[in-house]
Amino acid sequence: MLPTGGVPFLHEGGALMGAAPKHVWGRSLLKGQCAAADLHQPIAPPRRRLRATMEEYHRHCDECIDGVLGGEDYNQNNINQWTASIVEQSLTHLVKLGKAYKYIVTCAVVQRSAYGFHTASSCFWDTTSDGTCTVRWENRTMNCIVNVFAIAIVL
Amino acid sequence: MGCLRPRRTQGSPRIPIFCGPFSSKGGFRPSVVKDCIHAVLKEELANAEYSPEEMPQLTKRLSETVKDKLKEMGFDRYKMVVQVVIGEQRGEGVFMAARCFWDADTDNYIHDVFMNDSLFCVVAAFGCFYY
Repeated sequence: MLPTGGVPFLHEGGALMGAAPKHVWGRSLLKGQCAAADLHQPIAPPRRRLRATMEEYHRHCDECIDGVLGGEDYNQNNINQWTASIVEQSLTHLVKLGKAYKYIVTCAVVQRSAYGFHTASSCFWDTTSDGTCTVRWENRTMNCIVNVFAIAIVL
Repeated sequence: MGCLRPRRTQGSPRIPIFCGPFSSKGGFRPSVVKDCIHAVLKEELANAEYSPEEMPQLTKRLSETVKDKLKEMGFDRYKMVVQVVIGEQRGEGVFMAARCFWDADTDNYIHDVFMNDSLFCVVAAFGCFYY
């Protein structure tokens, strides 16, 4: 669950293997509570546009992962190429969208097993302009989690 | 007539020239951040054992703790992202990769890995300068 307004900076994103996939994105921030935004009024995109942007990222990343891992089985020899392809293609797609963001894309590919795997992230940013999206993908032999963090460039 | 220097408009941010990742004066210094993350991992995970009920909370708590410690370190005008991954240590294959599109003069990242007999933990911290 996303935190309520009493915790301005906290953004939690997580994916637990076996849980339903969820999108996570930044939440509205009360003015003045973000140290970074205190400097001057940020030129933040409206919240609807931020959500739409995150959904667009989600679609792109899903297609990237499908293109690289679709139909493949976990293979230790190829895994580094695959993860590198996924992050590079995702990043290229995101940059081509031409929005004023800095991007951080991380990808973790895990062999599918009975053993647990947990991931969480915590961000200190302006939740009105910055956002994240998490894509979970799986097939018979492996699970893939891609996180995209988009940090607005305000000049 | 005297020499007129152009004045900055009031309120426009100055970008410090020394604000780079490897500068001794400013920036998201990898060595300092790595020490901080290492200390947090040692403190939180020294005697930790993997258990499916506790790991989700531990993962979230770790990410918040690392983020709070980095905030205390006073990286002025840096937005930070901390990602924590914890898995059971059973020999299953895991591979992680990250790519960033940012300003390499001001932004940087650091990662650290902790392993014991029952779990492994990877923490990655990314710092982006806010112009």
